[in-house]
Amino acid sequence: MAKHETPLLDELEKGPWPSFVTDLKQQAETKPECWDILGQLELSYKDRITHWKHGGIVGVFGYGGGIVGRYSDVPKQFPGVEHFHTVRIAQPSGLYYSTENLRALMDLWEKYGSGVTNMHGSTGDMVFLGTRTENLEPLFWDLTHDLKQDLGGSGSNLRTPSCCLGESRCEWACYDAQEVCNHLTQHYQDEIHRPAFPYKFKFKFSACANDCVAAVARSDFSVIGTWKDNIRIDQAAVKAYVDGADGYPSNGGAHKGGNWGAFDIQAEVIDLCPTQCMWMEGDELKIDDAECTRCMHCINVMPRALRPGAQQGASILIGAKAPILDGAQFSTLVIPFIEVKKENDFEDIIDVIEKVWDWWMEVGKNRERVGETMQRIGLPTFLSVMEIEPLPQHVKEPRSNPYVFWKEEEVPGGWDRDIKEFRKRHAM
Amino acid sequence: MALSLEELEAAIIEKATKSPKPQLYIKDFYKCDPDAKPRQIKNVANDLVKKGELMFWSSGSTTMYARPDRIKDEEGSEGIN
Repeated sequence: MAKHETPLLDELEKGPWPSFVTDLKQQAETKPECWDILGQLELSYKDRITHWKHGGIVGVFGYGGGIVGRYSDVPKQFPGVEHFHTVRIAQPSGLYYSTENLRALMDLWEKYGSGVTNMHGSTGDMVFLGTRTENLEPLFWDLTHDLKQDLGGSGSNLRTPSCCLGESRCEWACYDAQEVCNHLTQHYQDEIHRPAFPYKFKFKFSACANDCVAAVARSDFSVIGTWKDNIRIDQAAVKAYVDGADGYPSNGGAHKGGNWGAFDIQAEVIDLCPTQCMWMEGDELKIDDAECTRCMHCINVMPRALRPGAQQGASILIGAKAPILDGAQFSTLVIPFIEVKKENDFEDIIDVIEKVWDWWMEVGKNRERVGETMQRIGLPTFLSVMEIEPLPQHVKEPRSNPYVFWKEEEVPGGWDRDIKEFRKRHAM
Repeated sequence: MALSLEELEAAIIEKATKSPKPQLYIKDFYKCDPDAKPRQIKNVANDLVKKGELMFWSSGSTTMYARPDRIKDEEGSEGIN
C-alpha cells in the first residue's frame, strides 16, 4: 500500500501532546493498511465528510454482537481499509490484566487485524480496530479457545458490564462491585451476546460515590455504593489533619508539593459540603448525618479521619446516556439504598433489573434509551411501574419542581370539592 | 402467548418477508402476537436467526432483523462500493 500525503493530519503531530497520527505512522511500518487509514482520514478532512460506511451483517456464528461492521466507501483508493471491522473484547472486572494476557491479546490482534486498539471503549471493552470479514471466525476461535476470553456486547444487546476496582484495592468500597459484575455477566450471557432490547443497555458498578467507572454518567443501570448509618469519625485523626501532623496530608497527599498553604478544614471541607451538614465544636468535627448526601468529599479530603458508615450497600440510579438525542443526562436516583448480597445471588438487584427491562421492552421506542423513555413517560409513572413509593430523594427541587404529584386516590375525598363550602373557609 | 411457537415463527417470517421495510427492529415483530411478552418475541426471533430464517444487521449501536434475501449486505453481489 502506498504511503499517502497527509498535510492536514500532519498538523495534528505538532504540539506537546501525543498524536494518534504519529502512532498510526509507526504502526504502518509493520501494518501497511494503516497508511490507508491515514489516507482516507485525510480525504475526509478535505471532503468534510466521513468515508466510513457504518454497520453490516458481519459477526461470528451464534452471536448477535461483539463485532461492528465497518467499510470504506472509497475502497479502490484505499484497499487496506476496504473492510475495517471492529471487534469488542470483554474486559475483565476492574480491568485487571496480566502482562502475559495483554501480550497474548496483542499477538492475536497482530495476527488477524491491524494491531490498532482502543484501550478502552466507553462501555469498557478492549476494542480491536480493523480487520477483514474472513479473519473474524479464526480470531474468535483463538480468542475463546486459546485465551478463554469472550466478545463483548454491541448493538441492541446488554453491553459488557463494567465495574471499579472495588474491594480488591479500595478501602471505600461499600460492596463487592467485581463480584456483582462477574455474577451478572455470567447470568446475562444471552442478553450480552444476542440482541434483546429496543436499544443498547449498560450496567456499571461503582463501589462508592467517587464513581470511578462514571456509572452515573454512562450507564442505563448504575449501582453506586453507599451506606445507611453514620460516617465513622476518628476525632484524633481530625485533629491531626487540622494540626498538619506528619502522615496526615489532606486529599491523601494528592496535592503534596503544590503551593496550597496549610490545610484549612473550614474552607476545604466544611464550606464545600453540598448539604452544609458539618461543623466544628472545639477540636471535634460534627456531622448531621441525616442531612448528609453521601458525596464522599469530606472522606476524600481526610481519609484517615473519616470512613463510610458500617451499614453498607448501594443506590440504584437509572437512565444515563450520551448526547445523541436530547442531550446527555445523568441517571436518576430510583432506589436510595439496597443491600447487595452474594448469599442470594444478588436477586434483589436482578429483580429491579428485570422489572426495568420488562417495562422498557414494552414501552420504549426503537432506538430509545431507558432514560429517554423515563423522561417521555414521566418519573411518577416509572416509579409506579417499579412499585416504588415516591421518596424525598426522588425530588431534586421541591419548591420549583415537585416532580412527584399526588394521585386522586391518594387524597382523602379525591379531587371533588364543594367549592362553595371551601370558599366559606377560604374567601378569595 | 396467543399463538403457538410454530405459529409465532411463521408470523415473524411472514412479517419479515412482506414488510415494505426490508430490515426490522425487534419491536416491529411485537404485533405478530400482541399477547406475547416482548422477551418471548425476542427469543423466537433470535432462534430464527440460528435457524437461518433471519439475519442480524447491526449498526454497532442498534440491531435489526431481516430475511437473508432482503438484507443490506455491504459485501453483496455488487460488492463494496
